[in-house]
Amino acid sequence: MNSLSVYLVLGAVLFSLGLFGVILRRNLIGMLISIELMLNGANLNFMAFNRFLAPEPAVGQIVTLFVMGIAAAEAAIGLSIILALFRRLHSINVEQARRLEG
Amino acid sequence: MMWLAKDPVLLAASACATLPFVSMVVILIFTRRYRSMSAAISISAIAACLLSALYLLWTLRHAPEPVQYQWAWIVSNDMIIPFGFLLDRLSLLMLTIVAVIAFLVQVYSLGYMAGDPGFSRYYAFQSLFAWAMMTMVIAPGMLQLYIFWELVGLASYLLIGFYYEKWSASQAGKKAFVMTRLGDIGFFLGIIAVLLGFGDLGILSMNEAAQAHRIAPSVVTLSALLIFCGVVGKSAQFPLLTWLPDAMEGPTPVSALLHSATMVAAGVYMMSRIFPFFAASPDAMAVTLFIGTVTMLLASTMAMVAYDIKQVWAYSTISQLGFMVMALGAGGYFAGVFHLTTHAGFKALLFLCSGIFIHEYHTNDMREIGRGGGRKLIIPMVCMTVGALALSGIFPLSGFFSKEAIMGVLAAKPNKVWLVAGLLGALMTAYYSFRLIFMILFPRQPAHHDAAHQGTGHDDHGHEAGHHGATFWAMAWPVMILAGITLVLGFFHKDLEHFLLGAGPAVHEAEFHGEGAGHGLGHYVLLFSAVSLALGGIVWAWLEFGRKGAAQEGFLRRYPKVEALFANRWYIDHAYRWLLDHLVYGGFTNLFTRNDRRVIDGAIDGICRFTVGGGRVVSFLQSGMVQYNLVLMVAGVGAVILFFVL
Repeated sequence: MNSLSVYLVLGAVLFSLGLFGVILRRNLIGMLISIELMLNGANLNFMAFNRFLAPEPAVGQIVTLFVMGIAAAEAAIGLSIILALFRRLHSINVEQARRLEG
Repeated sequence: MMWLAKDPVLLAASACATLPFVSMVVILIFTRRYRSMSAAISISAIAACLLSALYLLWTLRHAPEPVQYQWAWIVSNDMIIPFGFLLDRLSLLMLTIVAVIAFLVQVYSLGYMAGDPGFSRYYAFQSLFAWAMMTMVIAPGMLQLYIFWELVGLASYLLIGFYYEKWSASQAGKKAFVMTRLGDIGFFLGIIAVLLGFGDLGILSMNEAAQAHRIAPSVVTLSALLIFCGVVGKSAQFPLLTWLPDAMEGPTPVSALLHSATMVAAGVYMMSRIFPFFAASPDAMAVTLFIGTVTMLLASTMAMVAYDIKQVWAYSTISQLGFMVMALGAGGYFAGVFHLTTHAGFKALLFLCSGIFIHEYHTNDMREIGRGGGRKLIIPMVCMTVGALALSGIFPLSGFFSKEAIMGVLAAKPNKVWLVAGLLGALMTAYYSFRLIFMILFPRQPAHHDAAHQGTGHDDHGHEAGHHGATFWAMAWPVMILAGITLVLGFFHKDLEHFLLGAGPAVHEAEFHGEGAGHGLGHYVLLFSAVSLALGGIVWAWLEFGRKGAAQEGFLRRYPKVEALFANRWYIDHAYRWLLDHLVYGGFTNLFTRNDRRVIDGAIDGICRFTVGGGRVVSFLQSGMVQYNLVLMVAGVGAVILFFVL
């Protein structure tokens, strides 16, 4: 098992844990944290490929920085949505927010 | 613009084809509120056209070949559609007629329309009318002719419905538009037939090719018959004749213009324009002759029972147009065009005279005009009598010469039915014209009416004498000029004939047969019988309406059924009504309505219902939980990845 595979497996594990969390957690903050985990799993992949395979070593790093920036924005927006929801429902349980039920 | 100045003929032709349009636009956009300025603009535009037309007539009177300015408008493979001016003898003559009549009518309208709220609008439409007609007259190709033909129809729609706040007027305008349109469909199909069968819409080339038998005879017959449909609509021939009497709803000067030199004349003009083309198809000519005869007789009978002064002249127009179509159908090119010319003069005269009466007495009923003292208006009364004499075809007046020419052509036909019909028409024409004249001249029930009206009558007279000012003279002068033209035009008969036929490109055998047969002893017998029949008609009218103690009822009063038949226009309108109700409304409209309600609406409603119902069913899938959606999304992406990887 070479070192690239180690990183890739680690990234996949991180991503899967995040996905698991997003789908199963009923707490909105928990879902947000799980999404951060998924993003970081993807980031790890970018960095690993950049380190071991890329002919131009800067590209993967730029993408990673970009993803981190987006993640920060996403966290800000996500948190404000959660805040608004909390003001309305007095709860951050996703099961309470079911207005779209058909 | 330099090239225009170098060629005065082109300059004059362009002036005719643009100035009235410019005047219409200027009036509609800038001077609607300044009445006198609108009238001045419109009249000066038409006066300039009149001068240009006279100049063209004078310059080109000896031109051996038609002068043609044309630019290819649409060229596609072998198909050429020209746009421009064609100045030959026929179009120059017609251009002059149109310009003269339009000019006189516009001057007359200064008096007739004075004080009307729509004064500027009226002059704008008059300009449009003159422009459309003049450009149509000098069109070198059938498509240009057709475009301006429709514009003439539009202008007459606008003018017939001029008093649009009046229900009957707007209905009459609509009727005129729709009925002529019915014929125009045929006309357009005819143009397409020419285009498919020959490929060139130039009038001269069409005429030449048809005469030289370079077009298949079936194509010529088919397209001639289709084009004749346009004439039937425009010139109010049977069976589309009922729009013209209703067109009386417009102001009287409009009727004068419509009935003499423009609208209805357009049909006959167009037919003589492509006369060689028609003449190449004996079948089409036979149909034309038949339709003309039927129209002439029907309309004459209708005129014999009408009491509305304008309606009598309207029926007489239809009948005279039928007469012209007969002449053309019998091969008498010159006779038809000559009658068109003289008729334009005396029919405008008759209408303008009637307009003065209507303006003074505010009624269209000839009995009331007579009782009101119509004969006190000397100038219009004399002029109207002159017009009626010309219409009846009495010797020194213009109508005599043109009617004789037509009778000569009809007599040359082997079948004498046409001649008999023509003579019968002449008799009826004289009868109904003088029925009207005598009813106004010798009113009945003068006893109590005059006694009651004596004082006011004199007052009226004094009042009239007072207001015989500019308004009256603006109406009287055009009338007198037209009466003068009617008096002398006949004596230029031979000159006109030489002018039209002299070096014309296509001279027709039928014409020469007609003339040849006309010059013998038979000619004098014919002349004598036609005039004596006309005189007989006048005497007949005198016996029934003129002499002292005459009942003024007419012999038709004794046959109430026949009278009702004539007064109801042979129930042609009723037939149309029935056809409309049963065939159009009951048949097509009903069918289409059902199609619309059941099939189209049903289909659309069905689609809507399906969509709504489908949405309702599918919405059960929506639980409102974000995470279920997320699971589905992940599964979907996974499936896509699996699909691409495996």
